[in-house]
Amino acid sequence: MKMNPMEQFAVKPLIPLHIAGYDVSFTNQALWMFIVVGAITLFMGLAVSKRSLVPSRMQSMAEISYEFVANMIGTATGEDGLRFFPFIFTLFMFVLFSNVLGLLPGSFTVTSQIAVTFALAAFVILLVIVTGFLTHGIGFLKLFVPKAPALLLLLLVPIEVISFLTRPISLSVRLFANMLAGHTMLKVFATFVIALGGAGGALSLLSVAPMFLIVAITALELLVAFLQAYVFAILTCIYLGEALHLHDHH
Amino acid sequence: MSAPEPEDLRALGDRLDAVQRRGAVRGKAPPPTSLGVAFRFTTELVSALVVGGGLGWGIDWAFDHWSPIHTKPWGMVVMFVLGAAAGIRNVLGAARQLNAEMAAANSDAGDKAP
Repeated sequence: MKMNPMEQFAVKPLIPLHIAGYDVSFTNQALWMFIVVGAITLFMGLAVSKRSLVPSRMQSMAEISYEFVANMIGTATGEDGLRFFPFIFTLFMFVLFSNVLGLLPGSFTVTSQIAVTFALAAFVILLVIVTGFLTHGIGFLKLFVPKAPALLLLLLVPIEVISFLTRPISLSVRLFANMLAGHTMLKVFATFVIALGGAGGALSLLSVAPMFLIVAITALELLVAFLQAYVFAILTCIYLGEALHLHDHH
Repeated sequence: MSAPEPEDLRALGDRLDAVQRRGAVRGKAPPPTSLGVAFRFTTELVSALVVGGGLGWGIDWAFDHWSPIHTKPWGMVVMFVLGAAAGIRNVLGAARQLNAEMAAANSDAGDKAP
């Protein structure tokens, strides 16, 4: 019997496809991205289809998520950040649904792949840079120049630049590592249940203990799934806010 | 069920606006888990080291290939140290941000207490 806790992260081609020497197979990864996008579309579409004044459960869930993201942008970026609402709302819902759907047994967690999270983070940073230059022109580079004596700037500017370049990496690694660690932990405890259950005698009775632990960890993972989506979105807001207002927050 | 009067609707809209202006509906996240905080700090620190070291390595490589001057170990040594400094700066920034969030959450909780 296979009990490899990392096996769940394997990307497997479902429909092999090779174009001009490149492997562009339709994988389980791609399938689950479609499922995530489909689930979000279905949820938002169903929720707002009635548009009733007194919202149904579905509609109020959609309204809560809308207000949650709008308030997050309002506090972290400022009112002028609201023009990024469609982008940040999409980002938040995509990460949230990927994380939560990944908790279903037998599913595939899209955000447990560094390629996915890094693509998202790289896009965020590119958007921050473009926004910064569009808003402030060349003055955006002042972001890398803290208020300090000129001699110290020689040291501080490289530090600021490195610190800025760190963002896409820390943003993507944090989400990916959280998902990877949580799901690996669940699988490891699940193998304990099977191993103890098969041991026979008094040891079989003990297998109940890791099972209860799995229930508790699953609850924790649900919190982590939401929290990581929130962290990803709010850091995007903060970075965008910095690009819009430069040193206001220091 | 009869359709509500437009005047009623407008009054309701005004009242809802007033509630929103008071900030009754706000984006709130649960407090971060300890594991989450630990992950946050380590990724901030480690990724700065990686970026710093990587940049230094790239500088050395570029000088080695495209210029008569060889900087070989020094680009990486200097940038790695700067990367460490940037990492510490990132962690301090993250800690400051978490503190601010906690303080905001605490003051909200204080408001609700009788």
